[in-house]
Amino acid sequence: MSIDALVWAALALTAAGSFCAYVLSVRRLYLLRSDRRHRAGEERLATVTAALAEGDLPRADEPSEADLELVAELLARYSRQLTGDARSNIAGFFESHGLVGREVAHLGDRRSWRRACAAFLLGDMGSPQALNPLLRALDDSSREVRSAAARSLGLLGSGQAVEPLVHALVERRVPRAIGGQALLTLGSEALGPLRPLLLHREPNVRAAVVELVGLLGDAGDARLLTSRLRDSAAEVRAKAARALGRLGAEEATIELREALGDRIGFVRANAAVALGLVGDRASASALLEVARSDEFDPAQAAARALSRLYPQLLWSAARDRTSGPHLAEAADLTAAAR
Amino acid sequence: MSGAMIETNGTPLVLVADDDPDILTLVGFRLERAGYEVLPARDGEEALALALERQPDLAILDVMMPKLDGYEVTQRLRDNPATSGMPVILLTARVQEADITRGFEAGADDYIKKPFSPQELRARVQAILGRR
Repeated sequence: MSIDALVWAALALTAAGSFCAYVLSVRRLYLLRSDRRHRAGEERLATVTAALAEGDLPRADEPSEADLELVAELLARYSRQLTGDARSNIAGFFESHGLVGREVAHLGDRRSWRRACAAFLLGDMGSPQALNPLLRALDDSSREVRSAAARSLGLLGSGQAVEPLVHALVERRVPRAIGGQALLTLGSEALGPLRPLLLHREPNVRAAVVELVGLLGDAGDARLLTSRLRDSAAEVRAKAARALGRLGAEEATIELREALGDRIGFVRANAAVALGLVGDRASASALLEVARSDEFDPAQAAARALSRLYPQLLWSAARDRTSGPHLAEAADLTAAAR
Repeated sequence: MSGAMIETNGTPLVLVADDDPDILTLVGFRLERAGYEVLPARDGEEALALALERQPDLAILDVMMPKLDGYEVTQRLRDNPATSGMPVILLTARVQEADITRGFEAGADDYIKKPFSPQELRARVQAILGRR
């Protein structure tokens, strides 16, 4: 290759590099200005938007298209922080400006990212009009869309979403964390539709529902959960024991003590944990027996439950060299904690 | 009567501390609409400094804040004789029993769960200030 050609190539590369640097600088400047304008707009409209969220009528002069987009963006953010009438007011704003309809239409878009964005935004908008489209979106071919729909259904707060969400959760159509969080977000609204599902024919559904009732329910749910300690599926029995412990269900102590004799180890372990949480000192001797057994999880759980209930008994049992490692460990831990 | 009430001509002064500007806007708007003067702070240190300097009639504190969390600010307000009687409401997304207990142990008077209802917020603020 001649020297001339090399010089020309170097010049061309320098020119191309300079041009790229120029384009990147201009683009960066543009983005900075755009970001500054956006923040200034948000600051200008924040109070008006807060007023809209509280149900104040819009100003006499209608906002410009750009302002409307900003108000919508702010309201979507505010709706995540608010409950009660304010969320209804926000939903009313989005409905009256046709924005709910626009996003529902986007759920049918061929691009999955567009459908996912729409599913996400519909949750922030909080309009009940989005309920059925979002329920359908739980069957979308894209996992992102299904996840966004699950999250939004939790925010809409409708009991109708409970059963479809439970199925989406146990069929792993949505990530466990998102599906679970959606149901927890529904809160006590979810309990009514959840309770009948404790008798669902599929063990996976029953197990998920037992866990949710344990998290969302109260002492009144103890009787229903106690009946699940005799479920045919070990997973359900174990979760029922854990849920009863979380609820502090004293009325379930007899059944929980029976569950210490379950044929499956992790059910016995969960029953031991539950008895510790319930604070049933009458279970001490039964727990001591499990703690002396040679199956790791139940023995360890029983020893720790005993340390909560009856530390003196634990210490005295731990002195016996034949009592096994778990009692000794729990005794050491309890002594160290004092 | 606190210094703030004299300064602001009888309008109760409420310190609102949260690192989320949206929360500051929403809480501030609701309280100003209800007739209170609002003193915003964006982190725990700023909240503590403002509380000591301006002696507000009530503090509404986020639990998870940069620099000092809401529990720590509450504790330090209680430890200081100038602010030991200042009512504190914790505004928190952490509503596990242990978190709530920790807030009350630190000296909080009440807590409000996030997301919150503006009406409930106003009612609780009125209830606490009305008792004073």
